[in-house]
Amino acid sequence: MSEATWQRLFGWRHAFDQPATVWLVGAVLGVLVFASALVACLAGAGRLAPKTRNELQKRLLSWWVLAPLMIGPVLLGAAFVFAAVLVLSLLCYREFARATGLFREHFTSALVVLGILGTSFAAVDHWYDLFTAMLPLGVVTIAGLSVVADEPRGYIQRTALGVFAFAFFGAGFGHLAYFANDASFRPLILLVLIAVELNDVFAYVSGRLFGRRKLLPQTSPNKTWGGAIGALVLTTTFVGLVGPFVLAGRPVGSGTHLLLLGLLVGVAGQLGDLVLSAIKRDVGIKDFAATIPGHGGLLDRFDSLVLVAPAAFHLIGFGHGIGLGSASRILTGG
Amino acid sequence: MEPWRLRPARDHGMTLGERLGSTRREPGLIEAIGHRVAGALLAGHLRVWHRLRVTGREHLPTEPPFLLIANHTSHVDALALASLLPWRLRRTTYLLAAGDVFFESPARALLSSVLLNALPMQRQRTVRHALADLRTRLLEDGCGLVLFPEGTRSASGAMQPFKAGLGMLVAGTGVPVVPCHIDGAFAAWPRTRRWPRPRPVQLRIGAPLRFPEVVDDRDGWAIVAQRAEAAVRSLAPDAANPDPSGGQGITSSRRQ
Repeated sequence: MSEATWQRLFGWRHAFDQPATVWLVGAVLGVLVFASALVACLAGAGRLAPKTRNELQKRLLSWWVLAPLMIGPVLLGAAFVFAAVLVLSLLCYREFARATGLFREHFTSALVVLGILGTSFAAVDHWYDLFTAMLPLGVVTIAGLSVVADEPRGYIQRTALGVFAFAFFGAGFGHLAYFANDASFRPLILLVLIAVELNDVFAYVSGRLFGRRKLLPQTSPNKTWGGAIGALVLTTTFVGLVGPFVLAGRPVGSGTHLLLLGLLVGVAGQLGDLVLSAIKRDVGIKDFAATIPGHGGLLDRFDSLVLVAPAAFHLIGFGHGIGLGSASRILTGG
Repeated sequence: MEPWRLRPARDHGMTLGERLGSTRREPGLIEAIGHRVAGALLAGHLRVWHRLRVTGREHLPTEPPFLLIANHTSHVDALALASLLPWRLRRTTYLLAAGDVFFESPARALLSSVLLNALPMQRQRTVRHALADLRTRLLEDGCGLVLFPEGTRSASGAMQPFKAGLGMLVAGTGVPVVPCHIDGAFAAWPRTRRWPRPRPVQLRIGAPLRFPEVVDDRDGWAIVAQRAEAAVRSLAPDAANPDPSGGQGITSSRRQ
């Protein structure tokens, strides 16, 4: 393993080598401090109803825990990103499986877990061919081996649920991990994560301000056209403004490409949110789990990321490639 | 097109701690692996250490739901009963265990859940509520339950009267109750000893009882408990007058 690879994986001393990383982390910290101060002031002045205050404080506290958990691995090194995304994939799969009942099908469930582990391995190894092959491989394995139990009743349901879960939480989230093969992965991943979370905040705020017509009332009664469009505009602007610093010195610094990335994060983020809402409605549950106080399950929090991770990966990769400068197949050789 | 049957876990929305203390817990992949490994090890232990001998296997259930009940003198009992079932049934079978012993600390609760697939039965509190929950699970989920209607391990080795809680689970349903009698477990591991001794254990399985015509009320529960108790007693090797309904196919060859 070369020194450069070692540093990429574990070189926490290089966390703040790129100025963009410093700014992005600083901005997140600033926003959290500002929001906490604002809530404290409003609560102190008695401007908040007790219920709203409790809700806001709970959410803020969750963010103080979640933000370091999301940013920490990125700063520490690529190895930590791989580990964090693997844990996220497995926990999200668990929530999905327990919500839909797929967890009772132990064999199919084990195949999905195997697929998630395989995807993670391909990302760690920096083996792009295997990484892109994991989705078809996973589908074939889940559909093919699920038949061996010789239990045709429910075959379509358990196979379809398994394939769906693997595509979303294995192959989909896997793209987030694969970003870490790029030499300057820190600002890239931070940009995607922050854009996705801001997109949620933008949708909430502009929905409160301009939201009149319901977007998809059957799926998610609180979402409005005003919120969706506001989020698209603001997220696109954010990526368009911040992007040039993050991607400085790369061939994709161009304005249209960045605006497209912002638009993509806006659309895919909100679609992901709606997809997970549709699943919850279909099953008949309110939250996926009770993991994070104030947020529900991990899937309730990371719903927007499910579609953004692969979409943003391929758009950025299309523009300038990801990890082209780094050594590949670091474990398998070849 | 018919809708799919999407059934969230019964313990959906609970935190880990709540799950472990709840009779609604449903095991996932990790627990299933734990049960399988522990099951194989415990089956080996029973065979080697206790030379477990089983008669009447033909009475064992082939499909859930079902109840396995027995006299209770030792921790060996639950392990022996659970070891009777093939994996296909074992994976959806729960052992009802004393909450104040097996779930008394978080670590114990975790081990009982992951290794034994045990569910907590609190002796005093919320028993009625938990039994209603379990009745629903028997009928809707199609699971198996291993339980000891005496409610606790006998201190003397002699069988105690059955409690009516058994009736609350099955009165008025067709759920088969399979009576078993365990002999030798008291000598092997009475409650006064810390570790089991290498003593032989025999297990006799009787014909299943069903209580569809019994009314689901206080009197009905007592009837269920009485009949089940009689069936288990009749399987004892020294039973004076074996009950013909529960004693079919049983050899009384007691190993000395």
